[in-house]
Amino acid sequence: MFTDAPNFDIRNYLRMEMMPHFLCPGCGHGMALRALLWALHELDIDKDKLAVVSGIGCAGRLSAYIDANTFHTTHGRPLAYATGLALARPDLHVVVISGDGDCLAIGGNHLIHACRRNLKLTCLMLNNEIYGMTGGQVSPTTSETRLTTTTPLGNTEPNFDACALATAAGAGFVGREVTRHVPKLKELIKAGLQHPGFAFVEVLSDCTEVYGRKNDMGSSAEMVMRQKSEMRPSVYRDSVDTPFRSTDLPTGILTRNDRPEYGASLRRAAALASKGAH
Amino acid sequence: MNESSIADLSGSEPVAFNAALAEPFNVLIVGVGGQGVIMVSKVLATLAQAHGFEVKQSEVHGMAKRGGTVFSHVRYGARVWSPTIAKGEADVLIALEWAEGLRWLPYLKRETGVFICDTKRIVPPFACLNRRPGATLRYSGETAEQVAAYVAEGYAIDATRMAEELGNERAANVVLLGALSTALEFPLPEWERVITQFVPKKSVAVNMAAFGLGRSWIAEARTAAPAAEAPVRPAPVHTPYAPRLEITAEWCKSCDICVKLCPERCLRLNAERVVELFAPEKCTGCRLCEWLCPDFAIRVHLDAEAVPEGITP
Repeated sequence: MFTDAPNFDIRNYLRMEMMPHFLCPGCGHGMALRALLWALHELDIDKDKLAVVSGIGCAGRLSAYIDANTFHTTHGRPLAYATGLALARPDLHVVVISGDGDCLAIGGNHLIHACRRNLKLTCLMLNNEIYGMTGGQVSPTTSETRLTTTTPLGNTEPNFDACALATAAGAGFVGREVTRHVPKLKELIKAGLQHPGFAFVEVLSDCTEVYGRKNDMGSSAEMVMRQKSEMRPSVYRDSVDTPFRSTDLPTGILTRNDRPEYGASLRRAAALASKGAH
Repeated sequence: MNESSIADLSGSEPVAFNAALAEPFNVLIVGVGGQGVIMVSKVLATLAQAHGFEVKQSEVHGMAKRGGTVFSHVRYGARVWSPTIAKGEADVLIALEWAEGLRWLPYLKRETGVFICDTKRIVPPFACLNRRPGATLRYSGETAEQVAAYVAEGYAIDATRMAEELGNERAANVVLLGALSTALEFPLPEWERVITQFVPKKSVAVNMAAFGLGRSWIAEARTAAPAAEAPVRPAPVHTPYAPRLEITAEWCKSCDICVKLCPERCLRLNAERVVELFAPEKCTGCRLCEWLCPDFAIRVHLDAEAVPEGITP
């Protein structure tokens, strides 16, 4: 699992003229991007056969750094664009990179219907529990009691368990991992890319500059270490007084089923219809 | 010992061949956690008890799960008082690991003691001078010949390899039991009955074969020559490498993650707040900094390194 990858040079997969990227120091999205590119490298996916679609936000910006066919779309709609793309070009590997707000709030409807259809594409949701780019507003995954610019008294809304949502909506593959374990995350993304249906991967990432600073979570290194110390194998909460971030959620592959894939079903129906019409 | 565990043997008549043992017979069994030291001592204790001896067995296995040292004292005779064997009092020292055997040698009787040792080498973590594969080890350098000169009767037997060839490395302790059986006077069928009691049902056949192998190996070694010591197998040699860090300074944003999370603490931020490797000799090339750098500023290369002199893997 922790195999060495001497041939993997991330610079082969980056748009070098765009680097260094715009992410803040210590942002977990960088590790998530490495894991994705590493997984693509290990699966030997041709860059010309790869389409990365992303929405708006910090996570949405990541597509700009990948040297492949990339598509920076409107807020919350990368799954809608990707659905069209994957149906029109079933030969492409379509990867969606989305943030927690992009995927669950603005694009929440698109997410559940993409899960329901089970179209072959891979959706990476980078969950840093906040709208970082727009100034640190509360997001659907912000843990209770956490401070944000719109919850100065602490968040009082319960947060979303995105993986449970995706499973309930019918996604074929659901997994979750933290950015601390880059090789494990890479393996999870690999498994998702190889899944024949809709693969939803939640990446628990860190927002150090906005979320960490506001909630006094220490330096970026401390936040990375916190991922390890606060990791729990199952749902576990001490008390309401001890605010836990969502890393106390189970990780790994949570759901895997072989429901029929939407694109194949649609093409079969279309073929039958065109035969019957004439 | 538990009374019920010898129920199977209660029917057999106690053999009185050594019942007049004035002094208890002392067997010291040592090894590394997981090798089966306790199983060997249980077999021996059960056997001795079934023959009407009083048996005392005491062990330390606290470090077993950490791959630490495990030892078990077995004493049997007409009357046994102390549960432990004093230095220089063991009649037989049976070691499942080479360095553990050497560690306990002072417990063996100088004039008459029998030393049976597996040449298997398990290098303890504190014998590793640094954590790079292929680095110098401080493992015992004594050869089988040097040890043979020290003990009255010594056998260095490559039991682990013999068990591996039988298809189950874990039967190595039974190979040594076979070797031990030649030094004690219990009848062969009794040995086999007790061993069958203690090994898992599925592996009875392989353990019986291992037992026979150990017995015949000692018999051969006795007839051949005192120089029939098996050569000590060298530990596997890793190719040493020198990790080299390629740092893209313009990409580093001084987030400090690599500095704080490096297990060897060999990175730091320089005056320009850019990461640098200040202790290259400590770097093991684990790649954690490369993986965790959100800005892709570090790449680890594992260059081949010429073997420095003095390395004895």
